[in-house]
Amino acid sequence: MIRLPDLLAGSLIAAGPGYMPERASSVAEGVDHVFGLLFWISAFFMVVIVGFTILFVIRYRARPSRTGPEASPDHSTRLEIFWSAIPLALVFVIFAASTKVYFAMVESDPGSAPQRVQVTGRRWSWWFDHAGGKGSKELHVVVGKPVELVLASTDVIHSLYVPEFRLKQDAVPGRFTRMVFTPTVAGSYPVLCTEYCGTNHSTMTSVVVVHPDQASFDAWAAEGKGGDETLLEVGVRVFGEKGCSACHSTDGSAGVGPSVKGIWGKEEKITTGATIRVDENYIRESIVKPGAKISAGYEDMMPPIPLDDREIQGIVAYIQSLKDGP
Amino acid sequence: MTSGENYLTHGKGIRSWLLTVDHKRIGIMYLGLIAFSLFLGGVFAMVVRFHLWNPGGGLVSNDAYNKMFTLHGAVMIFLFVIPGIPSAMGNFVVPLMVGAKDVAFPRVNLLSFWLFVGGAVLFVATLVVGGIDTGWTLYPPYSLESSRGLGILLALTGVFLAGFSSILTGVNFIATIHKMRAPGQGWFDLPLFLWALYATGIIQIFATPVLGITVALGFLERVFHLGIFMPEYGGDPVLFQHFFWFYSHPAVYIMILPAMGIVSEVVAVFSRKPIFGYKFIAMSSIAIAVIGFLVWGHHMFVSGQSKWANVIFSFLTLLVAIPSAIKTFNWLATMYKGHIVLKTPMLYVLSFFAIFGVGGLTGLFLGALATDIPLHDTYFVVAHFHFVMVGAVMIAFLSGLFYWWPKMTGRMYDERLGVASALLIFVGFNVTFIPQFLAGTRGMPRRYATYAEQFQGLNRLSTVGSLLLAAGLIVALWAFVKSLRSGARAPANPWGGATLEWATPSPPPHDNFAVAPRGVHPYDYTGLRHVSEEAGWEPVRKEGAP
Ligand code: HEC
Ligand SMILES: [Cu+2]
Ligand SMILES: [Cu+2]
Repeated sequence: MIRLPDLLAGSLIAAGPGYMPERASSVAEGVDHVFGLLFWISAFFMVVIVGFTILFVIRYRARPSRTGPEASPDHSTRLEIFWSAIPLALVFVIFAASTKVYFAMVESDPGSAPQRVQVTGRRWSWWFDHAGGKGSKELHVVVGKPVELVLASTDVIHSLYVPEFRLKQDAVPGRFTRMVFTPTVAGSYPVLCTEYCGTNHSTMTSVVVVHPDQASFDAWAAEGKGGDETLLEVGVRVFGEKGCSACHSTDGSAGVGPSVKGIWGKEEKITTGATIRVDENYIRESIVKPGAKISAGYEDMMPPIPLDDREIQGIVAYIQSLKDGP
Repeated sequence: MTSGENYLTHGKGIRSWLLTVDHKRIGIMYLGLIAFSLFLGGVFAMVVRFHLWNPGGGLVSNDAYNKMFTLHGAVMIFLFVIPGIPSAMGNFVVPLMVGAKDVAFPRVNLLSFWLFVGGAVLFVATLVVGGIDTGWTLYPPYSLESSRGLGILLALTGVFLAGFSSILTGVNFIATIHKMRAPGQGWFDLPLFLWALYATGIIQIFATPVLGITVALGFLERVFHLGIFMPEYGGDPVLFQHFFWFYSHPAVYIMILPAMGIVSEVVAVFSRKPIFGYKFIAMSSIAIAVIGFLVWGHHMFVSGQSKWANVIFSFLTLLVAIPSAIKTFNWLATMYKGHIVLKTPMLYVLSFFAIFGVGGLTGLFLGALATDIPLHDTYFVVAHFHFVMVGAVMIAFLSGLFYWWPKMTGRMYDERLGVASALLIFVGFNVTFIPQFLAGTRGMPRRYATYAEQFQGLNRLSTVGSLLLAAGLIVALWAFVKSLRSGARAPANPWGGATLEWATPSPPPHDNFAVAPRGVHPYDYTGLRHVSEEAGWEPVRKEGAP
């Protein structure tokens, strides 16, 4: 038998937090809880605002039997402090709840070694270079395995959005941005663009396929292998063709410039005395504006070398592969 | 009573209007232009809504759709919502409320009007050369790509001019409020509308120059490739977003604070009670203006901004809830034990309470990081800011217009038409925008010319709502036109307001007051007595006074 209170609660939840897309990432539930908290706080205040408005209008409206206002104070510091304090307290609660979930949304678990996927947004499609070299117009990931997307754009700003993951990240030309997540439910979900990018913005879509296990992913990754040049291959080729190898060794020995072996992820000293972390944005800057940050112990000798986005991604992939390689 | 000359009959011919330095005439001219902008922006909005009737779009091409939503946003924001209340109504009532003859710098006021006209003309010129499709936010690299034609340069210049107009208006109001208050009118005897405009003026003066600089840099970047915002020349597109929102978030308060000011006036007059907690309301306006400068980063939570910057911006954004809540509770408390007269301005204010409530509370979802990340750039945001900017600001604008209309024109309007417009707008507004919250929560991104099947029902509902909303606006327009043609003569004080603008005839004489008035408590109604519907309210003769 359906009980009235259940029915009521059910329909209220459906009207609010229940109205969210499916949950398919490890953070979706946390996000929905914050949404629920905000929804009910808002609902409460709306009841207060609309309720008192209606009540006062009914009781105190001008009518033949009511010819003027009744005396009542024109302020009450205690009351006003009271209703300033309530929202203040709630702000702290909301902030704490939301920020805690937010940290989970932008950081992968320490030590989880996420799979890196290079994402390129361009008018009006997405391109995903998966770890292991496979490039595709769709994003492929495995249930339960953390993923780190490194986003780039070749033209204007785009934004990658997967409603079922509750996550979104802009892809900004001229820099790399990151997005991390762990898919929790196998299936495929739409990938949308949420930063306006012109004529076909609304059809700049793709899908993310969440494989139920590694084997299924591997089978997909093996399909048609050896076709296009992988990012790593691009990197190796560019490193030779553009003359990087003249100044940079790949075996750890210092040359005119520092060796690129083992630098990925390292904290490095630069001439200003500051330390920086070697990540994709630092590598991009080192190539495009070499003078901006100079590795300690070296001269500002590197010429700016115009590389396109894909070549930079390739170099990044190459340097990464030299992290602790042969 | 209205014998003799008034500001409308003082001076004849088109020149006596176009070159006038009378703040009242300037206010009326602004009103005309702003009403036209609302109409233009509304037409663009209707094209957008009809285009979205079907998931595949189809009414116009994607490119034309993109231009439509851009122009809708740009015209509504720069030519209606930002200047609306301060320039049209503020110009008319600020000097009256302080018992002055004019604003502090009447010529600057005229200059500001003509700068605004210049801005508006450039927007229309943008249309003529084929429009722009960059979104009103003008984000580079998209907006500054070399393939984009003359339109973007015209639009940037238009924004620049309109911005200067806004700055000059702010300067004028602040100077007027400082220097021209009636004898005996202390700071805490100012009507709250003036506190609101004062806070607005601060924002206009400090924030708008940044907009000017931003669009100027955009212009130079586009023409000379300086390498400021465009990555291909070595610039940073996110820098633009910082500059842009450093202005445009405070601009939200340029829009909403004057609206709150109107609400404070109307709710007191139509409850026949002093406003509850005058000082808290006044100070919360200032608090909103100050915090408003520190929250711009909440528009960039997913732009790749640092995690800690996000956390700080999120916290500061949530703080805005507090002054907003104080105001709302104080307005409600003003009605307590009052004598609530349900005339048109008050009906608009009542619908403001509900709509501003939703608009403000949904702001929490976007200030909180965890929920903003999925909701950013979806229809949830579209619904949220329409609740604030159309629901709250436009409805307060209409409330103020009905409230001061008798003062401006000397004519009463048809109460039934006024009430009908308020109801239609309230219903139409909610039917239009509540579905957009749902679509956004389900993940429908904004600025989409086409959309997934699952959102069809919600979009159609929204389009139906927009028709009701448009109908409500037409009824309001009809009420005003009818009033001009056959409205009853308005008494000096039809509503029993205690602020000084009601102490002079409707419409006011050219010099505003026959005898310079003294400051009074703006919400003390005990000195007024209702004579009749036609004669309005009159001061009670003091015992022993001549
Ligand atoms: C003329 C010699 C020269 C060439 C050619 C050259 N570099 Fe460099 N590079 C340097 C020097 C010297 C430094 C150290 C000074 C600095 O940081 O600018 C350096 C620094 C770097 C760094 C930063 C390394 C660190 O540990 O901080 C990266 C990455 C890099 N180069 C990549 C490249 C790539 C990729 C190419 C080819 C496209 C290239 N370089 C070509 C001389 C060169
Ligand atoms: Cu897009
Ligand atoms: Cu903002």
